[in-house]
Amino acid sequence: MDSLEVFDVESAIASEQEFYRKIIEDNLSNLKLAPAIGRIKVVLRPEDSLFQMAIILRDVGTKVTTTDIADMEAKPVAGEIIISIKKEQYIPELLGKLWERYGKANISQPDRWTVTISTDKPDQEAAFLKDMMVADPRHRLHENLVDFAIRVTPEGFRVRYHLYKGTQFIFVASEEALKREWIKETEAMLEELMKGGKK
Amino acid sequence: MAVFRPYLYTGGVHKHGLLIELLEDLGGYIIQKVVTGTEVNLIMLVPEKDIPIVKKQADDLLGMMVEASLTGVEIAVVSPTLASHHLPHSACDVAEYLRHPGANTNMIGLARGMGRRVSLSMDYERKLINEHDIAVFTFGSFSDCIINKKPKLFEGIEIPIVVTGGPELKTEEVHGADLYVGNIGRTSHRLRKAEEVSALDKLNEGVGKIADNIRKQQAKDPLAVLPARVMNEIENQVPEIRTVLSPAPLTLQLNGVRVKLSYDEFHEKIENLEFDEGVTLSELADISKSKMKNYILIKIKSKSDVGFAI
Repeated sequence: MDSLEVFDVESAIASEQEFYRKIIEDNLSNLKLAPAIGRIKVVLRPEDSLFQMAIILRDVGTKVTTTDIADMEAKPVAGEIIISIKKEQYIPELLGKLWERYGKANISQPDRWTVTISTDKPDQEAAFLKDMMVADPRHRLHENLVDFAIRVTPEGFRVRYHLYKGTQFIFVASEEALKREWIKETEAMLEELMKGGKK
Repeated sequence: MAVFRPYLYTGGVHKHGLLIELLEDLGGYIIQKVVTGTEVNLIMLVPEKDIPIVKKQADDLLGMMVEASLTGVEIAVVSPTLASHHLPHSACDVAEYLRHPGANTNMIGLARGMGRRVSLSMDYERKLINEHDIAVFTFGSFSDCIINKKPKLFEGIEIPIVVTGGPELKTEEVHGADLYVGNIGRTSHRLRKAEEVSALDKLNEGVGKIADNIRKQQAKDPLAVLPARVMNEIENQVPEIRTVLSPAPLTLQLNGVRVKLSYDEFHEKIENLEFDEGVTLSELADISKSKMKNYILIKIKSKSDVGFAI
């Protein structure tokens, strides 16, 4: 799926559609979300105070494990594991996980690229660490997606419903109590997008 | 009574004092002086018959003098919401652009102005808006909201109302508005494109016309004293005004002055302000506590109310 291969904004009046399209584009680029979104459809019905949005996400980077970002060496005699960092950007997440597992006292960072862990079972622990998940870009994506939904919704539409499952995201907002059929409609929009949208 | 024209002078700091002195000699007023680095911006009121003399002095100093139609006008830019997650608001650009021709603008974000059915304004907010000369309401992109739902925010507003929004509508369609300007709707970017900037130009032009109309109405029954003269006297008689750090410590309005000093502390001093003719300000104007912070609001009475003008 290409990024933004379907980008539909529907509203009763064509010119207003364009205004809204621009708002969505601006917010997508502000939050750097455009590459993550495959298909998006937004329906606006100001006369009903209704905002509906369905999004299908593209595959964004897989989970990052320790071996992806660092080389590891177990030293059974010294009772420690030495981690040599290759990708610095994930250090905060890695350290957070290590502190949680071994305690701060057992972790030292002699220089910027090295982390050492003192442990009784270096071999076993090294095997475990190898496959430990350090960071999940999906989590960050989820945050951004919710932020995006709130930013593009008209300010007064404070009653909201959202569903985020795998690569599917739907969002309904209104000023009034949400009707069951509005959510159903949005679900139908999502199905339509799954089939490839109109275009 | 001399007729004054508003002008904006932009030039170097070097010798700009000559221009200020000339203006004082001619009986004109400096309304605002902004020095930025080596540049100086002067907003001034020049006696109409002396304009050529001032222009000549400005040319000698290699500065520029342009007419600033909104000088001495305080405008409220009202947005139904100023929520942080919707920044940048188009209202920010509107407020900024209205300052180019010399207006002082205040941005007012209503507490509960957003939405359709739930949108409303509070008594306090309406009173605050009514303290200004003109209110500019910045609305969103949907004609249905602008035509059917948002005009309830105009209830209780007694000053001229200008509305901006996304769709191209006629002024008559927006009930209660004195002017509608399209193409300035809700955006998530700064207004920079050609059509957006030309819409802002149109807005400035329209607001300028409304201000001119108010001035014309005023000319039929002139104010008892010129707001600029009150401003001048406050500068001379209330030295504390020089310690105020607000951008415009004395903000001119078409029929008054906002003094950014505490009402409780200074209102007596302002009321007892003396003019050469032997009258005090309290005889010529209503002085009240402003809804904006604790400032002092002076609204000058008209000649017919007071019985004379100075």
